[in-house]
Amino acid sequence: MEFYFFHLMPWPHLPEQYHGPAWIRCPNELYDPERGVAVYNRYIDELVYAEELGFDGVCVNEHHANAYGNMPSPNLIGSILARQTRRCKIAIVGNALPLYNPPIRVAEEFAMIDVISGGRLIAGMVVGGGPEYYSNGLNPAQARERFYEAHDLIVQAWTRPGPFVFNGKYYKLRYVNPWPRPLQKPHPPIWIPGAGSLETMEFVARRQYAYMGIPYFHRRVFERNFAFFREACEKEGYRARPEQMGWLCPIYVAENDETARREYEPHFWYFAKRLLPGIETSPPGYTTARSAVKLITARNDFLLFVDTWEQVVEGRYAIVGSPDTVVEQMTDMISSLGVGNILALLQVGTLPADLTRRNMELFAREVMPRLKAWEAERRAQAA
Amino acid sequence: MTEKIMVCGETVELRRKGSGAPLLYLHGGIGDTDWLPVFDDWASRFSVVQALHPGFGGSTGGEKLDGVEDLVFHYLDLLAHLGWDQGALTIVGASFGGWIAAEIAARYPKLVSHLMLVGAAGLWIDDSPPAELFGREPRELAALLFHKLDHPVAAMMAAVTDVASLPEDLILQQFKAMEALARVAWNPYFHDPKLERLLPRVRAKTAIVWGAEDRFFPPVYAQRYASAIPSAQLCLVEGAGHLVLLERPEEVTRQLIKLTT
Repeated sequence: MEFYFFHLMPWPHLPEQYHGPAWIRCPNELYDPERGVAVYNRYIDELVYAEELGFDGVCVNEHHANAYGNMPSPNLIGSILARQTRRCKIAIVGNALPLYNPPIRVAEEFAMIDVISGGRLIAGMVVGGGPEYYSNGLNPAQARERFYEAHDLIVQAWTRPGPFVFNGKYYKLRYVNPWPRPLQKPHPPIWIPGAGSLETMEFVARRQYAYMGIPYFHRRVFERNFAFFREACEKEGYRARPEQMGWLCPIYVAENDETARREYEPHFWYFAKRLLPGIETSPPGYTTARSAVKLITARNDFLLFVDTWEQVVEGRYAIVGSPDTVVEQMTDMISSLGVGNILALLQVGTLPADLTRRNMELFAREVMPRLKAWEAERRAQAA
Repeated sequence: MTEKIMVCGETVELRRKGSGAPLLYLHGGIGDTDWLPVFDDWASRFSVVQALHPGFGGSTGGEKLDGVEDLVFHYLDLLAHLGWDQGALTIVGASFGGWIAAEIAARYPKLVSHLMLVGAAGLWIDDSPPAELFGREPRELAALLFHKLDHPVAAMMAAVTDVASLPEDLILQQFKAMEALARVAWNPYFHDPKLERLLPRVRAKTAIVWGAEDRFFPPVYAQRYASAIPSAQLCLVEGAGHLVLLERPEEVTRQLIKLTT
């Protein structure tokens, strides 16, 4: 089992009186670059600190034109981490492939980070969230086709001797020959995050990549999705390995359950009620009709539409409590989902630096070792 | 009245009524894909065909669309199939369908004798960009497209508070239609940057009919069409928003008779 520290780099300073969406139309006058200096540097420090605490890796991701996550270019942060860390994996989950034209750019930048970091990159590839298609003017009805074609181009660019000709529907290149090439062979591991779209899970299963379940859904949605993913792997003729599945979840640890909730809850609601609105935007053609219907029916199991702390706890939208409580709830979830990668979101919303650090420390010292021991025992029993 | 025909390997769902000179109705994205009562009035003078665009209703091929030109050729094929490609054709196009109608009349001027554009998409004016249609809740669409929310269709749309509660086949059909629409109209947004300079080619006798309260394509677009098409007559319809055929059908009929007699 591997533990990753995930950072979204949220904007924590939305004014009290602002209650609009955090995406697409959230006025960028609300972004204050003067305060941004401290925000960015603090978040980068937290990512670096994760290595010191013994996390196996750190995760960053790509979002545009929003207050939810201020990382339009996760590769910039990834390249800083390549230099500021020594050991941990750097998971960029991921680049929204259709937004890069030509996507050869992704092959180049990922290869750079892989080489600079000495082969520590995990290459995440995503279709990109629905809002990105508004913010970047890209046709959402082409999203899937572009994603698959860009993926093919990138993997070929990493594995085929160049120069070669690539003649796709969207990308036509007569000289594919990127320098540098990645250090890891045949190429860095590929992780694909998804919110439950069936085509994505089938694609990941076919390619034997790793599937990361995007959070903020009720546990039954995760259970359904990972069950579908395992079935998709069975159909491809193999059993899904735990390291092929990742579970991303907001987690907060404190001395006891009461303190944890008291310290965490307001910051979590800022995240759920101020930063999520707009993230659910699903432009036409962005998913196939069969997935769209499935996603619409999962809508009421999405954190944005949850109103009470009891619902948060019951649905495991976040795991919050003493080390004992967190270990107990996590082992329960890990058993039921079958995942081998834990993507711990230990900072959300307005959670300040001091509480974030203590959360990271308690998680690393009180939770991680116990989960690893539990996992080892489980494996020994199975063997 | 509803039939399905095969045109170049794709199914086209169309409704046909009346006898007389041929009239093709090209519908918009929302609100006028069913047979409208006003078409019955037209059927006493015309042979009216309302065809559904690829991806809408029972018409297939929406996933193959890549731009408005694909629709122009699609309708050329349909007109040939109907034997309506000999000239002396009236096309009425509303909203998205108005854009297609304008493209056909500009590119193939001999094909169309009379052209009526109702709240037509197709152009872009920097100072008055068209409103956002995609990703809107039904109640927001009602507010955008109707002048008055007491129209039965507007009231029905406004009453939908939870899209997930609608019947699954209706959701699927709506998704398919919006996807086809997005394939053509997402970017450039509901327009063809080349269309405006092609419009002087239009030879059809033309009426530009527009809701005075249109919030999707404000009336400044009507003026732009009217000044670019040589023979165009402009008619602003009071008490109507974008969906003039739903809010003031009798006025559209009056303008149609005036145009064609």
